[in-house]
Amino acid sequence: MKRAMIRIILLCMLAATLTGCAGGNSDSSTTAPKPVTITIWHDKEDAVADVLQKALDALAPDIAVKLEKKAGLTEALKMVGNDKNAAPDMYWFAHDKLGVYAEMGILAPIGDFIADEELADYIPMTLRAGMYKGTRYQMPLYFETLLFLYNRKYMKDADVPATTEALYGYMKRKTHGGHYGFVEQHSTAYYSAGWLHAFGTEVLNAQGQPHLDDENVINALTYHLKFVELMPDETEYATVNTLFREGMAHATLAGPWLVPTLREAGIDVGVAPMPVVDETGLPLAPYSGVQGLHVLKVHAREKKDAIMKVLTALLEPQIGTDLALVSACAPANGKCYGDERITSDAAGMEMRRTAETAVPMPNLPEMDVMWTVLGNLLTDVNMRGQDVAEAAAQAQRQAAQLIEAMR
Amino acid sequence: MTSVQISANAYKRGKGTLVSYLVSAPSLILIAGVVVFPILYTAYISLTNMNVYHWFNYSFVGLVNYARALFVFNSGFLSALGVTVLWTIVNMAAQLIVAYVMAVLLNMPKLRLKNLYRTLLMFPWAMPGYVSILLWKTGMFNSQFGLLNRWMQDLGHASVRWLASDLGAFICCTVVNLWLALPFMIMIMDGALQSVDKSFQESALIDGANWLTRQTAVTLPSIRPIIGPAVIITVFTTFKQFDVVYLLIQQTGAKTGSHLHTILTYAYENAFIASNYGYSSAISVIIFLMLIAFSMLTRTRTKEGV
Repeated sequence: MKRAMIRIILLCMLAATLTGCAGGNSDSSTTAPKPVTITIWHDKEDAVADVLQKALDALAPDIAVKLEKKAGLTEALKMVGNDKNAAPDMYWFAHDKLGVYAEMGILAPIGDFIADEELADYIPMTLRAGMYKGTRYQMPLYFETLLFLYNRKYMKDADVPATTEALYGYMKRKTHGGHYGFVEQHSTAYYSAGWLHAFGTEVLNAQGQPHLDDENVINALTYHLKFVELMPDETEYATVNTLFREGMAHATLAGPWLVPTLREAGIDVGVAPMPVVDETGLPLAPYSGVQGLHVLKVHAREKKDAIMKVLTALLEPQIGTDLALVSACAPANGKCYGDERITSDAAGMEMRRTAETAVPMPNLPEMDVMWTVLGNLLTDVNMRGQDVAEAAAQAQRQAAQLIEAMR
Repeated sequence: MTSVQISANAYKRGKGTLVSYLVSAPSLILIAGVVVFPILYTAYISLTNMNVYHWFNYSFVGLVNYARALFVFNSGFLSALGVTVLWTIVNMAAQLIVAYVMAVLLNMPKLRLKNLYRTLLMFPWAMPGYVSILLWKTGMFNSQFGLLNRWMQDLGHASVRWLASDLGAFICCTVVNLWLALPFMIMIMDGALQSVDKSFQESALIDGANWLTRQTAVTLPSIRPIIGPAVIITVFTTFKQFDVVYLLIQQTGAKTGSHLHTILTYAYENAFIASNYGYSSAISVIIFLMLIAFSMLTRTRTKEGV
C-alpha cells in the first residue's frame, strides 16, 4: 500500500515537472525578450532605496533594476567583486572606498558609459571625489558634510561665532555647571579633520604619503587643544549628540542626518557657516562623503547599454532632488538647486556652501589605515596630554609602517 | 590459535575499523571543512602576497610575511602579550572564585526559588555580547551620563574617567568580562556540585569537618574533573578575547585614552587594518601557535592537578 502511494506521488511530481517545462517553452515562444536585469547593491535605509527604485522602475520593461540591500557591502565586494555569478552590476556607496576597488581591478570607469560633458552641472567637489588616478569611477548622486549646528534656545542668531576666537570666547563664557558652549567629537578623525584642513594641511598627500608630523598639523592640533579643554572628556558619537539633544551643549559639529532627529526632539536648531580660524583666515573645512553609483567591471561589457541607460536616467535633476531630501543630504547635480524644496532646506543649502571648501574624504587605499592612526594621534594629544610634536612623530612612524604593510 | 584464526580476527578488526571510519565520515568531513580547511587556507595565504594591490593575481612569496610579522612583535606587542597573560589569569581566578561561591549558594539546602535565581543568572548569556558591552560603556562608565558617576556626584565627589587610565580600563574590562562569562562557569559549577555524592559530605560532617574543610577536602577534589574542561575552554576564550577590550576602550572613533591592548587588539590595530591578507594571515598563524602552546600548557597543568 505504502509503495503504491509513493509511486503515485512520484508520478504526480514527474508529471507536474514536465508540464511546468512545457508551459515555460510555449510562453517563451510567444512573449517579448526578457528584460536586462541590473542588480545594484546598497546599504541604505528602505525609504531612501525606495526613491531610487521607483525612479529606475521607469526603465521597465527593457531594463529591470533590482536594488539589493547588502550587509557588510564593502567586504562582500572584496570577496565576490570579480565573480560573474555573485557580483552585482553596480553598487551604491560613498566614494571613499573606490580606490581600494580600483586597485583590485573590479571597477569600470564611468567614462565608458557617460561623457564628462553630461556632468558639467555637477558640483566640482562631488566630481573630484569620484576620481582615482585620473579616472572617474563614481556617478555622484548626493553628498554630506558636517554642519555647525546650534540650539537657538541658548545661542541667538546674533551670537553665532563667525571666527574660532569668537567661538572660544563663547565657550569660556558658557561652559559651566554641566553645560557646554560647544562640543564636538574632538578625538575622532572624521570630525576633527576640519581643523587640520583650516591650517592648510591634509593627513595624506595625493601620492598616499602621510605627513602627520607636518608643521601645520602640529600647529592645528596645538591650537585645537584649547577648545578641547572646554569640552567633555569623552567625545564619542553618543555622548556628544546626547549632550546637544538634551540641551546641555549650545552648539556642535554634526552631520545632516542628526537634524531631523533634533527637530523631532523639539529643538529649534540653527545651521551656520563654519567658523573661520583667525590665524589662517580659512574656515574649518570638514570632510565630505559623496554617495553615488559605481559600475563593476565583471558585467560592464555585456550590459553596457543597460548600464548606460541607468546612469543617464540618474542625470535627471528630479531624482537627485528626491534622493537628497529623503536622505537629508545635498544633491550633487547643480540643476537640483533650482528646486524650491532644496533652496528652502537650510541644512542642504549650508552643505552646498560648505562644499566650496569641504575636502572629499581621500579615496586612496592608504586612508583605510589613516583613520585609526589619526584617531590615535588625536587621543594621545587631547585625552592623554601627550606632547603634540612627540605624538605627531610617533603617529607618522605608525602610519608609515602600516602603509608599508599594505603592500 | 591457528594462523587462519589470527588472520580471520585481523580481518574482522580491519573491517570494524573501516566501518567506524565510514560511520564517522560525515562528521569528519564537516570538521575538516569547518575547522581544518580555514586553518590550512590561512596558512597558505600567509605564504602569498595577497593584498589590495595583488587581490586576484597574488603569488607565493615564501616566509616573507613571517619575517615582516616579527616587526609587529616589538615592545608594544610584548607589552600586550604581558597584559593578555595577566588578563587571562585575573579573569580565570575571578571567574572560578565567584562562580564557585554562587554555585555553593545556589545549592544551599534551604534556599527557596533556586530555579528563578538560576534563570536570572543566565540572563547575561541571553544578551548579545556587543549590546552588553556598549550598555556597560554608556550606561555605567560614561563620565557624563554613567551610573557610576551619578553615584559619585551624589556622594559629593568629582566625576571620574573610568576608562581613561590603563589600570582603570583593565578593571572595567575585567568586570564586563565577568558579567559575560559567569553564566557559563556558574552553570558548570552548579551541575558539578549537584553531581557530588552527598554521602561524602555527610561522612566528613560526622568526622567533625567544618564547612571550609568539607569544601576543600571533599567538594573541590570531587568537582575538579568536571570543571577541568570548562576551565580549558574559558582560558582559551579569555586569552583570545577581543570584543570586550576593543569595544570598551579601543574602538575607532570612540577611544577612551587608555593604551591597554591585548595581543588581538594590538595585532588588529598594527596589522589587520592594513588589508594585507598575506601579512595578516602570517600574524594570525603565529598567534594561533601561541594559543595552542598556551592551551597545551594549561591542559598539562590541569592534568597534573587531577
